[in-house]
Amino acid sequence: MIDAIKEAVLQGDRDKVVELTAAALEQGTEPKEILDQALTPAMDIVGEEYERGDRYVPEMLISAEAMKGAMAQLKPLLAAVGIEPLGRIVIGTVEGDLHDIGKDLVAMMLEGAGFEVTDLGVEVTAEGFVQAVREQQPGILAMSALLTTTMTNMPVVIDALKEAELRGKVRVIIGGAPVTQAYADQIGADGYAPDAASAVKLTKQLVSA
Amino acid sequence: MGSSSFLGGKVQLLSDDDIRTIDRTSRSILAKTGIGVASEPFLEIFASAGADVQRNGRVRFPGRVIDDAIERTPKRVLLHGRGGTPPLDLGGKRVHLGTGGAAIRILDLKDGRARDPRLADLADIAWLVENLDNIHFFLRPVVARDVSPNSLDVCTFHTCLANTSKHVMGSAASPETAKDVIDLATLVAGGRESLSENPIISFITSWMISPLTLDTETCKVLMTVAEAGIPVALSSAPVAGSTAPATLSGLLAQAHAEQLSGIVLAQAIRRGAPILYGTVPAVADFHTMGYAGGAIESALLNAACAQLAHSIGVPIYSDAGLTDSKLPDIQAGYEKGMNILLLALAGGNYIHHSGGMLESMLTVAYEQYVIDNDINGMALRALRGITVSPETLAEEVIASVGPGGNYLTQQHTLSHIRTDEYFVPATADRQGRVAWEMAGSIDARERARGIAREILQRPRGEFIPSDVKRQIRNRFDPADCKA
Repeated sequence: MIDAIKEAVLQGDRDKVVELTAAALEQGTEPKEILDQALTPAMDIVGEEYERGDRYVPEMLISAEAMKGAMAQLKPLLAAVGIEPLGRIVIGTVEGDLHDIGKDLVAMMLEGAGFEVTDLGVEVTAEGFVQAVREQQPGILAMSALLTTTMTNMPVVIDALKEAELRGKVRVIIGGAPVTQAYADQIGADGYAPDAASAVKLTKQLVSA
Repeated sequence: MGSSSFLGGKVQLLSDDDIRTIDRTSRSILAKTGIGVASEPFLEIFASAGADVQRNGRVRFPGRVIDDAIERTPKRVLLHGRGGTPPLDLGGKRVHLGTGGAAIRILDLKDGRARDPRLADLADIAWLVENLDNIHFFLRPVVARDVSPNSLDVCTFHTCLANTSKHVMGSAASPETAKDVIDLATLVAGGRESLSENPIISFITSWMISPLTLDTETCKVLMTVAEAGIPVALSSAPVAGSTAPATLSGLLAQAHAEQLSGIVLAQAIRRGAPILYGTVPAVADFHTMGYAGGAIESALLNAACAQLAHSIGVPIYSDAGLTDSKLPDIQAGYEKGMNILLLALAGGNYIHHSGGMLESMLTVAYEQYVIDNDINGMALRALRGITVSPETLAEEVIASVGPGGNYLTQQHTLSHIRTDEYFVPATADRQGRVAWEMAGSIDARERARGIAREILQRPRGEFIPSDVKRQIRNRFDPADCKA
């Protein structure tokens, strides 16, 4: 059963993953076993295949979606026995920027990797980000911008976090076509990733640091 | 130069049946799915045009609303330069090639290092392009990073107009800066009427975010520009596999639907507004989901979009000359060579990005403008095709030379070798190996660098008369252009 779930995640067959997970739980399989023996190893393989160039991004996302199907069932059960998600993340595009496909991709990949993601959507103001950080206390705040004219709102958010005395409580990561590591350093962000797979790696490093 | 003498339409990827099928599908998309409009004033504009407007922000289009708008759209748009060059005559299958982009990196001409572009780079590129005959217009290629965002639009247009006489196209971040830019162009053109009659500038508005969503902030700019009667390109850039279907014809159906909805919007803002159908289609690279501007599929999409625009008779703004390479290398050469030739043969009216671009739209390089000037020249030569006439058939000359002679010193030879019959690229090396080695064994990139350096050292033209300069100084503070 565990192998079948793992295989279905690799195939990106969400319906099958949901069905098999329900059946496994019915049979008395521990939720943690499903997570550790099927879902996480499957997503590790997906990540490796992507890095080798054997898997395209849509083929990676469809597996992440399948994993989410299982997680919806497992999450309450895991929480009941005190197992928390890898970390909590708040994500959005900055004020003035409607371009959300990159942000959506990162959010999907992070969820697939086992993070709990709150997606604030597009054109999130500095106040919007600050409020979400205050209320949800995420480990990571992720911001995205596609335009050179809107990426300048990223340091505005960082300043607003400082103003609200929240900067020390959250790691800030940024991304988007015009954004670079140099820009991240310049505005005092904690991390930058050039693509969604690297964003997952970066996030895992930051939460385990 | 008489650039409008270059006629495309020689390559037709889509059959007439294909075009009808795609157009029908686009109209069905607009009738059933519609577009998303998150702004009350724009919902009202669409309603006034006869579209079916839902309170939830969905706008659907009956066929007659689309037909009316196409009917009102000018089928020919003239974009003017200054100083006696004939205007770009957009429409039909007349081909023009020019620069594009809002690149955020430039390769330094001295050391090849990628760095931030500055306003001085914009001036240098404009002057370089002024001297490259196969680049017909100047769409602002870089974002000057040493200018504050507040004064960027005016400073950009001013720098372009001050360093080239070719037609200048650019964008504006807000309706206010669009008005400033129009004021600036009015001074340069010598009055508002003169600017409307001979538009020396035009705008790009990225008014639509694919799929099918109006960018209402940019649409306010579109409105300002269209109301002023200045030509505007309705730029939308759907990417197959991310913001459009992964199949090429699916992208075309969506892109054409987006354009038709934009035509309705523009004509509702101002009846007869001069607009350009503005597809900038591409496929994604599925390893990064990035914009694969140099992909052959992106070139096919552009060629097909030209046919779709021709089918409704609206002049088209589209693109060729992109590459995903980071430097002027072999990849840059083969990608650009293929996509520029293909779109020119397909008949793109206003082909932007056809000069200087690297890394899709993110980087430019001085030497790449010189190289692309040659690629453009070869494509334009291909468009001219082969002239068949008694003079070119040369039967008399063949008879007089006879079997076993040669044509080297025939008057016929001398009277044709410096004509349109031949295009000689400046960056190509056709010498023998020994001569090439004696010349330093350098490649096309190095030769292009040499040409770029030489042009940049030439004394610059004065493209804005001193009395106009004074008027500009009175209206705009030139200090604003120094961040």
